[in-house]
Amino acid sequence: MAKPKIEPDDFLPLTPAVFHVLLALSGGERHGYAIMQEVVESTGGQMKMGPGTLYGTIKRLLEAQLIEESEERPDPHLDDERRRYYRLTGVGGQVVKAEAQRYADIVAIARGKKLIGKSALVTVSGGC
Amino acid sequence: MKNSPRQLEFPVSQKIYGRLLLAYPGSHRAKYGAAMAQLFRDQCRDAWNESPTWGLLMLWVRIFPDLVGTSILERLAALNERKTMSDKLSNLFSFRTTSASIFFTMFALVFMLVFFLSVVITYILPEAYASTARVKVESDAPVLEEQSPAYDPNFIQTTLEIIQSELVLKRVIDVLDLNTKWGKKYSSGGTLKTAESLQILKQRLQLTPIRNTKLIAITAYSDDKNEAAKIANAVAEAYRDYRFESRAMNDKAVIAVLLAEYQNQQVRIQKVQGELDSLRQQLKIQSDASAGQNPQEQPYWDKKRDLGYMLESHQALFSKIEAQKLDLALPKLTLVQITDTAEPSYAPVRPNKTLNIVIGAVAGGFLGLIAGAASVFVAFKFGNRASKNAAPA
Repeated sequence: MAKPKIEPDDFLPLTPAVFHVLLALSGGERHGYAIMQEVVESTGGQMKMGPGTLYGTIKRLLEAQLIEESEERPDPHLDDERRRYYRLTGVGGQVVKAEAQRYADIVAIARGKKLIGKSALVTVSGGC
Repeated sequence: MKNSPRQLEFPVSQKIYGRLLLAYPGSHRAKYGAAMAQLFRDQCRDAWNESPTWGLLMLWVRIFPDLVGTSILERLAALNERKTMSDKLSNLFSFRTTSASIFFTMFALVFMLVFFLSVVITYILPEAYASTARVKVESDAPVLEEQSPAYDPNFIQTTLEIIQSELVLKRVIDVLDLNTKWGKKYSSGGTLKTAESLQILKQRLQLTPIRNTKLIAITAYSDDKNEAAKIANAVAEAYRDYRFESRAMNDKAVIAVLLAEYQNQQVRIQKVQGELDSLRQQLKIQSDASAGQNPQEQPYWDKKRDLGYMLESHQALFSKIEAQKLDLALPKLTLVQITDTAEPSYAPVRPNKTLNIVIGAVAGGFLGLIAGAASVFVAFKFGNRASKNAAPA
């Protein structure tokens, strides 16, 4: 029997940790430490993930097939061979886009109600 | 090269984190344990680069709740997986072993963290040495002999306040050149203001009156054992000098008043002497042998008697001034005696390492029991809710 097709919207809303990991991987494949650094930079240090949160999230994203482990190394000479690299799957890409659009819609509503200005920065915060 | 205790914290942290990974289920450890340990190693390096002193501590403060929370979630997830594969009887058995496992894991985690933090904090805290000088203090004897010594019930308390006052401590700052020395230490090589040094000095002093005696213990604290001894001795000497000088000032003031009175008396005596001479010429008195024979001469004899009293008083005042000058010249050794000088101590008094570590162990055990019991409660009462929250979407 064929598996029922899962729509990206079925995964929404994402938890902040999941969204940030997917956002980090939308820039290309990365290993755990690089994902963590990307999240710290993109949130201005507001969100610092511990190893438990990061790899718990990665585990669930792998199980949900939103990301996959990459066999390739960007530059094997410059990197530790033991590091595991992850990248977005097709569905993962659609999910992160859908979640970003959801946030954009929410921001548009907030602007319509003049809760925030046009130049207001939107950050997604959450604990580690 | 031998590593300092602080340099050793880095690999020690990694070892501890490696052990703490046992809190996660075996399947999770097998798949992600090495990656988690590597990520922790990277975070340790960043924290170390950021601040060798507090970076690792802050990392642990952030990482530990993450480790506890996610390990419980992973164990719950593993438990739910097992439920689907086991029958009710084995589930019941599994419940007991799992609850014991969660309890002891949490107990061990919390105990180790609290104990580790107490050890780290104990060794990070700066060491402080203490040195004590003791002084025997006497209240001021009356400046004039006619005054009776008064008992002052607040004498010791007043003395303690004077020792901690600017009058005394400014001398210590000047003698030990603390503005410069502490400026180098606390103000990046600059010079501290006297008010700043005074504030630091007051914080480092402890004065203790010794019960039923006139002794006061002056204890100084410093991260340098020699400096602690120097400060304690300098405070004792500064207070002694202050008492000597203030007593000398009092004596000089008294002498000045007595001298002024002496000169006034001299003027009055000269005046009376002049009046007496003119009376003698006026009444043509030849010798003192005729005293009392002629009633007309009585004013002369009365004035002469007054002059005699004035001369006696004048002589007594002169003797008093001489005695006062002699008293001023005598050293006032009994006012303040330094009975014990401070010596540099061999061992630091702060932090109390043994006490801190014992408290850390006891607190770790207590908090571990609470955390273990709470984890078992959370795991089996709210397990399903937690599992839902763990899902990515």
